Amino acid sequence: MLTLKKTVPSFSVGNTSSCLAAGEVIADVALEVKHVFFGYDSTDLLRGVSLEVRRGEAVAVMGRSGAGKSTLLKICAGLLKPRSGAVKVLGREVGNRCFESVRPRIAYIPQTLGIVSGASALYNVLLGRAAICPLRFVAGLWSRRDVEEALEALRAVGLGDKAEMVVDKLSGGERQRVAIARALFQEASVIYADEPVSNLDINTATEVMKLLMEFRRRGAAVVAVLHDQDLAFEFFDRVYMLSGGVLKEL
Amino acid sequence: MRSFTQNFFVLNLLLSAVLAIPLGLADAALYFKAGENTVRFFSLLGFRWDLAAEALEAVLETFVISLFGVALGGLVALPVAFMASPLVAPPRFSWAVRWVSSAVRSIPAVLWAVFFVILVGPGPAAGALALALYTSTYLVKLFYEALEAVERELYDSLRAIGLRGPPLAAVLFTHVKRQVVSHVLFMLEYNVRTATILGFVGAGGVGYYILQYLSILDYAAVTTYVVATVVFVVAIDAVSYLLRRRI
Repeated sequence: MLTLKKTVPSFSVGNTSSCLAAGEVIADVALEVKHVFFGYDSTDLLRGVSLEVRRGEAVAVMGRSGAGKSTLLKICAGLLKPRSGAVKVLGREVGNRCFESVRPRIAYIPQTLGIVSGASALYNVLLGRAAICPLRFVAGLWSRRDVEEALEALRAVGLGDKAEMVVDKLSGGERQRVAIARALFQEASVIYADEPVSNLDINTATEVMKLLMEFRRRGAAVVAVLHDQDLAFEFFDRVYMLSGGVLKEL
Repeated sequence: MRSFTQNFFVLNLLLSAVLAIPLGLADAALYFKAGENTVRFFSLLGFRWDLAAEALEAVLETFVISLFGVALGGLVALPVAFMASPLVAPPRFSWAVRWVSSAVRSIPAVLWAVFFVILVGPGPAAGALALALYTSTYLVKLFYEALEAVERELYDSLRAIGLRGPPLAAVLFTHVKRQVVSHVLFMLEYNVRTATILGFVGAGGVGYYILQYLSILDYAAVTTYVVATVVFVVAIDAVSYLLRRRI
């Protein structure tokens, strides 16, 4: 059973540690999606999708395979450009240059494969701040404080004793927890999770969901794509259904 | 309905039979002559123990040339592969880097050896530089292909947090380190084989000695060098195989 210890790294917005000065968060609305249209070909996969998620809120998006859930998440994370409409994350419009400054505050947890294989769990957590201190990351020069905080994040997800273990030797659930520990270390203000528990058994899935909800408790916004309706209604403040390119609250 | 295996066999059989005619390989007299020559050739073979130490030294020089080629080639290939990957560099720039790399790679290592013999004179330095250049372009291709095979989900999760440029490349490179080590070992094997013939054009290594003894028809000496080379190449292959299994 996973337990979140009291010594989880500080998660306050605007933390002033030397590494985290970049990407200062000013907006209360963490994510704002307005009339977004998107399609991979001439047809629209998303038809005027709008969504607002405030800090401290958790929102689940459900829908059939191919409905565009992951696409929506990628648009929100600035990985895809919408055909029309606007997306703001932490007050910065996606696509604008200033958006890059808030990227270090965004965590994107895919279904699987979101971590670097052949590397230790600690390395995977440390790279959560690589975008803030790129030169230090490339040179492998981490401060004692960064390493300690990364270890704390791993301890928070119950992997303190596996920090030096190569992630390939971890189970699917443990790998997802490494991805969550990275987001913790990152002190992320917006967490996008794309089917984070679809490959896990129900007990592990529940534990991972509890960890994700810890972000909400600490004032971050959580947007997750889920298939499991029970988990969605148990853990999330709002649940949406994406169908026919339109998002409707359930 | 024939299976793919049957089609493969039949197609290769037909091609071999048809192409053998213009190449003169369908003439039975050729094989009688080849048989006689084979008997004569093997009667001239032998092993000169007095040349064993010299042969080992030449093989060692070949290995040093190969290893240098991999070391310097890998060093150059690392940043160039990043520049050749559209995941890291601007697409147009990366295509230009690929094109240049491909152009250099299209010229065989032995021709680059001729070029470097002209530049720096005969000897192992020319061979080492030729192999370093060729290895670098080959590794560039292998490295950027490994980077392109990185799972989209990992790439997305790294881009989402703002990683780009060299830090992104460093992380992706770590992710594909098994392929990287495997490719480097493959190039070492390749270089050892290639370095054995670089001596034919004066670029050092065991090939130089083989050519000298061939020119005076001392087949026993040639055999000594060839045996030393074969033993060495097989040993390198075995060590490389064991290392690849461990990564």
